[in-house]
Order: sequence, then structure tokens, then C-alpha cells
Amino acid sequence: MNFEIISPTTTDELLVAIEKCQNRHFRFGAGCTDLLMELKKNPADDLTVINLAQVVDDRLTNLTKTSKLYRLGSMFTAGRIVVNDELKTHFPVLHESAHNLASTQIRQVATVGGNLCTASPSGDIACALVALGARCEMLNTNGKSRSVAVTDFFTGPRKTVLKSNEVLYGISVPLNNKETAKIYSRFIKIGTRRSMECSVVSLACHIQTDAKGVILAAGVAIGASAPTIRLAKDACSSLIGKTFKKITRKEKEEFAATVLSYASPITDIRATAWYRKEVLFNISKSIFE
Amino acid sequence: MKKNSIKKETLHEVTFTLNGKKVTCKIKGATVLLDLIRDVFDLKGTKSGCNEGECGACTVLVNGAPVNSCLYLAINANGKQIETIEGLIGHDGTLHPVQDSLVQSGAVQCGFCTSGMAMAIKSMVDLYETGQHVPGDIRTELPSRDEIKKYLEGNLCRCTGYVKIIDAAEKLFAKEDCR
Ligand SMILES: Cc1cc2nc3c(=O)[nH]c(=O)nc-3n(C[C@H](O)[C@H](O)[C@H](O)COP(=O)(O)OP(=O)(O)OC[C@H]3O[C@@H](n4cnc5c(N)ncnc54)[C@H](O)[C@@H]3O)c2cc1C
Ligand code: FES
Ligand code: FES
Repeated sequence: MNFEIISPTTTDELLVAIEKCQNRHFRFGAGCTDLLMELKKNPADDLTVINLAQVVDDRLTNLTKTSKLYRLGSMFTAGRIVVNDELKTHFPVLHESAHNLASTQIRQVATVGGNLCTASPSGDIACALVALGARCEMLNTNGKSRSVAVTDFFTGPRKTVLKSNEVLYGISVPLNNKETAKIYSRFIKIGTRRSMECSVVSLACHIQTDAKGVILAAGVAIGASAPTIRLAKDACSSLIGKTFKKITRKEKEEFAATVLSYASPITDIRATAWYRKEVLFNISKSIFE
Repeated sequence: MKKNSIKKETLHEVTFTLNGKKVTCKIKGATVLLDLIRDVFDLKGTKSGCNEGECGACTVLVNGAPVNSCLYLAINANGKQIETIEGLIGHDGTLHPVQDSLVQSGAVQCGFCTSGMAMAIKSMVDLYETGQHVPGDIRTELPSRDEIKKYLEGNLCRCTGYVKIIDAAEKLFAKEDCR
């Protein structure tokens, strides 16, 4: 493994570094847990790594709140999500996804931005962010930013809409509905080992109900079931207006079947497509229990 | 690579605190902390097990937090406090309470995982002593066995001596005046 490294210390320096690398083969390094694994397996010639870890910029590393949303800098780590009480209260699914990512050691360095930009169909934090309806904010070398919904951020396995002169700057998560009295949250990860990267299937859901238990908003995302993490949109909208505790068995099954229609799983060494579908159907049903 | 393209590699200067001592050295961009510790500073207590973030044998503390040194770029150690197993032992050679507890509990078989386990356990004890929230959401007075297990999920013991390792950690918490 060999590469050159540039370690900008400000966002301006970062943008200059990106500009300078436009005609070179370069990669960003955040927590580097995915990047180093990849480069150890497939060393690249003439690679430059732009090291994000030394950039001092609150917008890149911290959590902020506005009247509409929480914004996490892309360098916010899984470990910091886990110990954040506010995030745990408002977005338990995000907390769970970070808590179940890899191991204590990896969580100290693994970043939200890295989890998204790696664009793995089984990315755990990414799956929770899809269920939460988050948006990705990208910054380009001219200092201009644009944002897209996380669901539109992924274009295929390991592929995103990021252009070569852009970096993922932050992720914003909309605040919960004002009338929300209770949140039903699930993060289900089925795999061979708890702390393994590749889940066989995963499901993240964030369902908000009012004081009477009526569903106001629902986000259900599935991982490792299609080339990208998917938001089961129709399944989500089918829940609006229903009383969470009174969903019938038939409705649960219809819901699970709708979730399943978003899956196009493959057969690989971990599981067959048939098995993945069965599991996904069953865990989808189980979220109401 | 083309023969005539062998270019001189850029070296980067890094300065950090290693087991309480300030050190400076020049490294290549791709050097990982594990190699720097073992090969340049000749501290062989930090082990290379899987080299891919799975086993925790290479665990060191960076500003008190446990990380896999096999997946940590040495250049990012700059300005930080790095602790390895060699830093645990007292100047007079006395074992650190974590090491002592591992010995007393019979938690060491071949010993390959032990330094990584010790560093991970130390970070957990430190978080308790300072009353900080622990990654893993441990806020009760004393951690349960399950919470200790969860914290140590990233440390594998190929001799599978987990029961005694968890015992060793549990005894430490019982002993410490934890909040
Ligand atoms: C042992 C092990 C276990 C793991 N277990 C899990 C698991 O359980 N669940 C899970 O989801 N993942 C897991 N992973 C994968 C990985 O740890 C996570 O995806 C992590 O969140 C990646 O973050 P990072 O900061 O380390 O990313 P990096 O490795 O630094 O970057 C990942 C990719 O994203 C790009 N990138 C990073 N930041 C930016 C940015 N701001 N803008 C543009 N591009 C960027 C990089 O160029 C690179 O291609 C595991 C990895 C290992 C080694
Ligand atoms: S050697 Fe680093 S985790 Fe195994
Ligand atoms: S004692 Fe042998 S690996 Fe743990």
C-alpha cells in the first residue's frame, strides 16, 4: 500500500487541494476504515489521498441544530452519535445504527460521511439516514454547495452523485413532526456476526405517532436487499393515518409485501436471494410487535 | 509501475506524545500507526493480528479512545496522545491494575490478544472514572457483563478465553470507585 497524502487544515485549503487533484487519481480519507481496507487489498498506483481528518471546521466535524433540522458535519463519528443524548431521543434509529456499527474501536474513527460515500448497500448509518429522510450537502471547489436527498445520493453499489470537484460536507436530518408524541424505531440487522460489515439484510424504521397513537409520519429503509439502500416509499405512505397499536395481521402482511417489492436481493456467499426475501418479509412484519 | 517513474516519496514530519514522552519522526503518507509503533519505536507489545480491523490485537489509545492501529494513519497521530501497552506499566515495574486483574483472573492463555484487551479495558475503566458517557451507552453505576462484552466486541481471543477476560474487567469495575 502506497500513496501520497495531502492534509489540509482549513476548508479553504481543502478546496484548493481538491482543485489541484482534478487531473490526478485521488481519494478522500475520513476515518479511513473503508479506504485502508480497500487499498490494502487493491493497492493503487499514483494515488493521492486527501486527508480530511486534520481539517478544522465546525461545519465539517460538529453537530448543529436549527428550527428545522439537525445537521451533522460529514466527519461526525459513529462514536459521537452513540453518546449524544439529543440524537438518541429524537432519532433513536440513528443511535441504534451507530451503536451496531462494527466495534468500539472502529466507531471512534468511522464517520457518517464515510459510511455514506462508501455507498455500500449494507451501510448501517446510511440505512438509518434514508429512513429519517436526511439530505446530503456537498461542497464544490468554487465554494458552492448543493444538496440532494440521501435516497438520490446513491446511484449504485459504491457509486454516488458526488462529482470529482465535490466533497460531502454535511448531512441534515429534519426535525420530527411537532405533534409527535411517540416514536417507534427499529434497527434490525441480520447477519452472520453482530459486528460484521455485511448484513444479510437490514431494516431501519422511524415511525412517529401523535398522542393517540395515530401514525403521522413513517420512514422505512432496507439495506443489503438491492444495489442501493432503498426507501420503501409506498409501504411508508400506507401507514399514515393508521393507529400503530391497531394494525391488523392482514395489514402487517400487506405492509411487509410492499416493503419486499423494493427488494431485488442477490445470492452470494452469505445468503441466497430466497433467504433474504423471507427474512425481509418477516422482519418487516415484526416491526409492529 | 514504470521503471523510470520511481520518484522520491514525500516524507511527513509528525510529533506526538507516545506513552507520556514527546516524539518526532518522519513517515510516509501511507504508514499506519501500528507499523510506526512496532517498527520505528520498536514497541512490540502492540500486535498485528488480522490487519483489517476485526481482531483488536492492535488496539492503542488515541487521546484516550481505543482505535485499531492497523487502520489508523500515522500522520493523524500528529499532536495527539498515544498510549500503548508499554505505557501501562509503572516506572518501578509494577503492573497497571488492568494488567494485574488479567493476571489474577487467569485471563491470559497464549497472550496474543492480551495487550489489545488490556488497552480496550483501560479505556472503559477511564471513561467510568471520569464519569463520561461511554460509547455503548453505559450509564449505570457498574457495567453489566453484557455491557462489558459489548464494549469488547472488537477484541477477539483466538484461545477463546472470554469468560476470564470478562471476569478480569468486571473485578476492576467492582474495585474502582466508579460513578
Ligand atoms: C472491521 C470492520 C467492520 C465494519 N463494520 C461495519 C458495520 O457493521 N456497518 C457498516 O455500515 N460499516 C461497517 N464497516 C465499514 C466502515 O467502517 C464504515 O462504512 C465507516 O462508516 C466508514 O467511515 P470512514 O470515515 O472510515 O470512511 P473512509 O474509509 O475514510 O471513507 C470511505 C469512502 O468514502 C469516501 N469519503 C469519506 N468521506 C468523504 C467525504 N466527506 N466526501 C467525499 N467522499 C468521502 C472515501 O474516499 C472512501 O471512498 C466496517 C469496516 C471494518 C474495517
Ligand atoms: S490487527 Fe488491527 S484489528 Fe486485527
Ligand atoms: S489468550 Fe490467546 S488469543 Fe487471547
